[in-house]
Amino acid sequence: MDRNQIGKWFKNPSKMANKYSLHAIYFCTGCGIIEIPPSITTRWDAERFGIIPVATPRQANLFMITGYVSTKTLKAIIRTYEQMPEPKYTVAFGSCPINGGMYYDSYNTIKCLDKFIPVDGYIAGCMPRPEAVFIGVTHLWKLIDMDKANGYKKYRENYPFYRANQEQLFGDLDWPPLFPKENTNG
Amino acid sequence: MYFLHLFILALLALFSGIILVGISRKISARIHWRYGPPLLQPLIDVIKLFSQNSISHGFFFDFGIILTLVGSFILIFFIPVSNLYVMNSGGLIAVIYIMLLSPFGLAISAAAGANPNASIGITRKFLLSFAYEIPLLLILLSVMTHYNTISLVKIVDMQVDSGWSFGSGTLILSGISYLLILPAILGIRPFEVVNASQEISSGPLTEFGGKHLAFASIQHSLHTYAVLALFVDLFLGGSSLFGLLKPISSTIWGSLIGILVFLVKVAVLMIFCLFINAVFPRYRIDQAMKYIWKWPLLTAFVGLLIVSLLN
Repeated sequence: MDRNQIGKWFKNPSKMANKYSLHAIYFCTGCGIIEIPPSITTRWDAERFGIIPVATPRQANLFMITGYVSTKTLKAIIRTYEQMPEPKYTVAFGSCPINGGMYYDSYNTIKCLDKFIPVDGYIAGCMPRPEAVFIGVTHLWKLIDMDKANGYKKYRENYPFYRANQEQLFGDLDWPPLFPKENTNG
Repeated sequence: MYFLHLFILALLALFSGIILVGISRKISARIHWRYGPPLLQPLIDVIKLFSQNSISHGFFFDFGIILTLVGSFILIFFIPVSNLYVMNSGGLIAVIYIMLLSPFGLAISAAAGANPNASIGITRKFLLSFAYEIPLLLILLSVMTHYNTISLVKIVDMQVDSGWSFGSGTLILSGISYLLILPAILGIRPFEVVNASQEISSGPLTEFGGKHLAFASIQHSLHTYAVLALFVDLFLGGSSLFGLLKPISSTIWGSLIGILVFLVKVAVLMIFCLFINAVFPRYRIDQAMKYIWKWPLLTAFVGLLIVSLLN
């Protein structure tokens, strides 16, 4: 640990701890998941960054959307994302979550993921190599430092927008709204 | 004096528990030819978990995890370190009793969480507890019979005069049996059945997030420290260094050096268990029970026979 970081630890320990201990939910979205096992195993070790995969969303901090998102997977992604405790960060890997990528003209894939759940950062590539994944992690640290990685706050504040997009895609969702709207009866 | 001992023992257990888990992650990483997280990574994890807004499933969910933590926390006050101890009455009998509080608390939380993975995990945890408690009882009985006392403080004092228990001819079989079931009590491979993350999504800890997982992590570190400290006190002479520390044993320097020697012994034991953890896969729960009820139980039984015949 650098000596000049010790002051930051005392000023805001929860922010520094959220940076250096990202527990990633081991959710395999699309074909892009193939680059995650090399990143977390021996050759390109992700544990030295503090990233370990955990088994359930209740214990997780970081959600990695790797690869394309089909409409069937999007339901599972939304349910998983809503179960994670706050503060939580989402990082999208590959070109498919950005603009549809290789599947840009498919009827079944989501072209713009940001309308359904908030994404904090994108890592370009098809798929990004583990070196690119680690550079992305350091960028996420910088965003957390500058308080710009606030996707979860945007989800809480603009929940009706996200919910409307989800309901437009799926029709009726069989789970209640995560943040119920307070009725302001006059 | 009492409060000073309490404070120092609690701080020592928390700090060395965290460092032990950190050492285990670092050494496992080095065995795998990679770098591994920093040594204080478990502390960073706990700070992060405390800053998360966790979801609670009701009163019993919160109560169970507090009971688990309290069970492990109280246990460390019964285990003396150099000449610091808080509770002397009850000794080994109290240790056996309190060791079973943590699984109970975890069971209450898992039941309140209502997750089927958690119930599978708790079933495995209790089965494993019933498997290793029987050799453990026989081992503690042999030690109590040999030294004719139930007080851990007296057992440590007698080892200063007569040498380590592990080196004496009568208690060596009990020591070997404790070493054979140590991975099961610690919950490391090959007995990592309870928290198997790949099979049952981390077992009883499935619904824990935020504060609850922080308490569970602290309980895990305290449990690791308590089990290893118990072995060091019973078989490796506590904090004695072959009788070299007897002349200065009642001074502050003597206590400090005693604590250091104690921690070194605990660390060496942990590294021994980590080497076993690195090369073994995971047993199934029925294989684990079959193993523990064969050789460790036999060794502990023969050890008890030897001690009772020679006394």
